Amino acid sequence: MSYYFTIIGTKDNPIFEHEFGTSKQGGDGVARFREEARHMNQFIAHASLDIVEEVQWASGQMYLKLLDRFPPATYISGFITANNVKFLLLTCPSDSAPSRSSITSAASARSSSYPSSATYNPTAPATEEAVKSFFYEVYDAWLKTLMSPFYHINTPIGSPVFRSRVAAAAKKYL
Amino acid sequence: MNPLQDADPLQSPQYSNSESSLVLPKIRASPVASLASLPYRRSNPSLSSLFASTASILPKSRSGSVTPTAPLVAGSVFSPGATHGAASLPSTPQGSQPADEARTLILRSFVPHVGVFASADTDELVRQKGLSGGFVELVRPFGECVHGKVTIRDSIGASRSWDDFGIRFTGLRDGIGVPPGGTRRSTDSRPGTANGYRSSTEGSDAAWLRVGGDVRSIEEVVDRHLAYAEEQSGPTDYLNHKQNTAETPIATSPFYALYLRKLLSSLPMAPHETFSHPVACVLAISSRSPSPIEELRRLYTATSTGDQRLPHWVNNEFLRYYVLVHDEDHDDISKSTSLFEQMKRHFGLHCHLLRLRTNQCVSSDEDCIRIPTCEWISASEELAEIHRRETAEDISDPNIYLHESDAAALRTFVRELTTQSIVPVMERLIATWNEQVASRRRGISGRFMSLSKKWSPFSSSRTSSSPTSGNPSNSNYDSLQGFYRPDSPEATMRKLADYAFMLRDFKLASSVYDLLRTDFNTDKAWKHYAAANEMCAIATLMTPSNLSSKSRTENVDQMLESASYSFLSRCGAPFYALRTLAMGLELLKLRGSSAADDAARWATKALEMRVVGPVGEALFTERVSACYASRKGTGSMSWGSRRRKAAFWAVLAADSWVKLEKGVQAEKCLNEAGRLYGVDADGAMDLPFEGMRIFMQALGETVRALRRARRGYDRAREEREEDEETLAEEEMVEEISETLDRRPHRKSLVGVGAGPMGPLDTPLSPLRSAEDEPRFKDDQFE
Repeated sequence: MSYYFTIIGTKDNPIFEHEFGTSKQGGDGVARFREEARHMNQFIAHASLDIVEEVQWASGQMYLKLLDRFPPATYISGFITANNVKFLLLTCPSDSAPSRSSITSAASARSSSYPSSATYNPTAPATEEAVKSFFYEVYDAWLKTLMSPFYHINTPIGSPVFRSRVAAAAKKYL
Repeated sequence: MNPLQDADPLQSPQYSNSESSLVLPKIRASPVASLASLPYRRSNPSLSSLFASTASILPKSRSGSVTPTAPLVAGSVFSPGATHGAASLPSTPQGSQPADEARTLILRSFVPHVGVFASADTDELVRQKGLSGGFVELVRPFGECVHGKVTIRDSIGASRSWDDFGIRFTGLRDGIGVPPGGTRRSTDSRPGTANGYRSSTEGSDAAWLRVGGDVRSIEEVVDRHLAYAEEQSGPTDYLNHKQNTAETPIATSPFYALYLRKLLSSLPMAPHETFSHPVACVLAISSRSPSPIEELRRLYTATSTGDQRLPHWVNNEFLRYYVLVHDEDHDDISKSTSLFEQMKRHFGLHCHLLRLRTNQCVSSDEDCIRIPTCEWISASEELAEIHRRETAEDISDPNIYLHESDAAALRTFVRELTTQSIVPVMERLIATWNEQVASRRRGISGRFMSLSKKWSPFSSSRTSSSPTSGNPSNSNYDSLQGFYRPDSPEATMRKLADYAFMLRDFKLASSVYDLLRTDFNTDKAWKHYAAANEMCAIATLMTPSNLSSKSRTENVDQMLESASYSFLSRCGAPFYALRTLAMGLELLKLRGSSAADDAARWATKALEMRVVGPVGEALFTERVSACYASRKGTGSMSWGSRRRKAAFWAVLAADSWVKLEKGVQAEKCLNEAGRLYGVDADGAMDLPFEGMRIFMQALGETVRALRRARRGYDRAREEREEDEETLAEEEMVEEISETLDRRPHRKSLVGVGAGPMGPLDTPLSPLRSAEDEPRFKDDQFE
């Protein structure tokens, strides 16, 4: 299972990007995206902002749960902060990264190294809870970054401390 | 006879006579186009008239209201209805009324089928006129749109007139032909070679050619159209470049419309739906026959018991319509009239005397019209036609001309057949079945049990006494062979619903389909179940009334879901799954912005289920983008719009087109994506994500490379034929067009210097010769 996490600013600009793999079920925490997934993930995340903008008015929560899916198997969960900064988490249960070719070529990723990938259910309570905890942990770290006098809002976060805290949260929950 | 013809000055016969000769000059009319359309075998006029249905993207058809393309002219001469119909088909000028296009398409595709069975001498008579296909081929184009209004009474007695009603003439057994791939096996034991009465050279071939339902050949036809469009679009496109991007983005691409139309053309005859089962059968004899009445009897027996008997899942009690074809040029009318009187006495009202001239008509004759092109021929048949015209050595006019009097006679014949026989018969049958079968099922007790359990007004003895083969449970479904007998109540209900659908009584149709769904489900008749679900969803969506979004999401979505699932997974019928999804998504898209999401979801599903080929994939990806783009947001920030998603899918579509090397389409999608992202399509400077930016730029590069390759191709042709001077001229024009596309101002080009010219230096062989000059030319230009 591979994850792509991004923080998107108020002008649809990426503030922070991070890729990682699962650490549960013996995962080594390394993302296994294909080469073309690099831009596909960005496209998908960017496209799901449409859904965020719709859902944000319907729910009072900051955690927006499962927002969208992109065939064949990419799930997008979202989180929105008070100043309209969005956290998006793309989940690819199988190692076949979100690519168009994997739609046409038969499900090639049968040889997935993670047994759970076929049965991944993005709306299961446990999954949602894990993602929620991850988001809140990142939110804490993000708030602290925001308080830094050297950080300007809506600019990319370069802090290695922040990155390591995101990685720690990922390792802890996902 | 035809007042509307006079009404429009563009539709005079003389004009249509010279149609074929007009095609080429028309292309040449534009100064730049004239450079590209040099003699080239494949772009002969006969071929381009075939591609005319999608040619609306080409500049030549946009350049004026006088579109010299085949279907339009033919249609307009032929009837006012046809003009109307043709206008709502892909040959529509951009954006005139894209809203209802899909609905019209579906309306016009599910029409009564009429089998045609002509005696040998009738076919021979028609063949003398130059139509090799015999009588079917002669009447077929005239059935596509019935002349004048057709009034239909629905189940509650309300009448409604339709302009665009049509019927489909097919060979009687065309629909059961087995395509060469052998993907579908009909349960009929005899293969479709028994066409003894049709010419033996064509017989078996034409039979399978006329069956639709083959996704592969649909793909191929669309691909041919695309290739043609690519070829034609050469250097002209910069003239319309701005115009292209400014167009309304939601207009359906003509190729997608073509894909849909081919998907719905010539539906194969199948047990689980009765749309292509004949509603009536035209039995035609000619005045040449020595013993006409005997001949008619023989034809009749052949269709009911003989070798023309349809498979036994087809109800054989369809209407027989008797036609006497009179040869005006050789035979005596008084003899024919008396024969016709005799026929009327024998067979009742369903007779017609068709007076045709048998002398072959040539285009120079005074009162001749070109035989209209069929819009609803199957993909494989169109493919065969394209192939035939491509390989034809001479570029002589392949069109066949008819005397105006013949055309008028045929129109009258079709109109009479439709309004006096087919529609009334169908109305009567609907009323009868509705009363006898459906209303019982709808009653109090009927609600609790399925049809076969209790109510079988037609075959009550059968279900109780004779345990038919292969159904251990007490149902009418023959699970071994996979069909209901045509006299079982389920089959009757299905026919009732299909008839109601064909007569556009969607309320009745959807209610009956809804009843059938549960019955088929209990019987585990999966294909029937899927088909009932499909048509129930479609009929519900076709109903003009507003659907609440709740009932839509609950019912229609569920029906589409189970239809596509059953077709694909349980029955292995990807064609039907694709048809379901395509129709569903189109109709949902028409339901306004709230349904656009669903429409996009079904389009995505079609991609996901892998029921489309590469061309279809690109087209459907484009469609997803269009669906999302059609969703409008609310408020000043347009919350809830799907701008980014539409743009994303447009990028994906561009990517698919690039993979297919269809530069024009890719460029269109890329421009659309750029427009939606709010960036300059070529610059892609403002995209915040780096990966997206790089990808868009790479895509733009590839598209430009494709465009250059296309031009290089043109130039290679030029070089063979033209002298150096014109070449240099053209180079100049094109070089500038290239940069104009990229930069709005020429100034910036000079300012930047070699930067944007970089890609131009790629060693592309045909370009080589002129590559030394651009800098000089730039100076000259500034």
